[in-house]
Amino acid sequence: MRSSSSLKQEFLKKWIMGLQRCTSSNKNMSILERKKAIKLSADLAMAAARNGRTSWSRAVIANAARESDKRLLAEKILQGQESEMLLKKVSNMSAVIRNRRIIRSKKILKRSRRRTTSEPQKVLASSIAKRLVQKRTHILKSLVPGGEFMDEISLIEETLDYIAYLRAQVDVMRCIATSPHLMALNSE
Amino acid sequence: MSSRRSRQSGASRITDDQIIELVSKLRQLVPEIRNRRSDKVPASKVLQETCNYIRSLHREVDDLSERLSQLLATIDADSAEASIIRSLISQ
Repeated sequence: MRSSSSLKQEFLKKWIMGLQRCTSSNKNMSILERKKAIKLSADLAMAAARNGRTSWSRAVIANAARESDKRLLAEKILQGQESEMLLKKVSNMSAVIRNRRIIRSKKILKRSRRRTTSEPQKVLASSIAKRLVQKRTHILKSLVPGGEFMDEISLIEETLDYIAYLRAQVDVMRCIATSPHLMALNSE
Repeated sequence: MSSRRSRQSGASRITDDQIIELVSKLRQLVPEIRNRRSDKVPASKVLQETCNYIRSLHREVDDLSERLSQLLATIDADSAEASIIRSLISQ
């Protein structure tokens, strides 16, 4: 893991790049549009800082690339990086992913049907615990970008990485949002 | 490697070894379980706290985006806001 300050600097640079692109293309944004632009730029900048080396960052980029208005922003932020190629790959992949999702959900349905018919009436504490772990693993998969396609082991590693990057993103955003200079500018 | 072994045996559940490793790393990251002893934290609790933590981080990003959308009226290259942010980058 690189030093957190160099990571934050890189994130900040990319984020500003993305924001400037948004404002240059759309001069009179509503507050809501601006908020969405800020959030999207921040998420993409964070994924770009990871440079496509983790599944979650690739998933964030892929999700953005699927919508044409977000795609342009992603291209700007990822300019000159290895992960720029991901954007081109993604449009071919989206059909594959959609099919994979359908097949996977059908499999899960079959599996759960099998389980309910063969289980005994008595429920042991350990199987309750196992169910809880399963249920919460499933929730975690929905929270980490791209998590639904990961096996349990990768999920843990990706989660740790994702949390570290999320914290850096929050720190930077908070630093700017609470900057006294910025607040002074707005109170004039 | 224990991870390779469990993958080969087809086990889809998270093993105890992996949980212990996860707990030790998460303890530094997640505030809620930092103060508990590692052997007393069950896997389900670790997962629950992790999910809660990620959700709270998402919420914070959302709130900060909201705040910033009000503060950053314009981020044109020559605006005052941009120069403030640029000075923050160089620190």
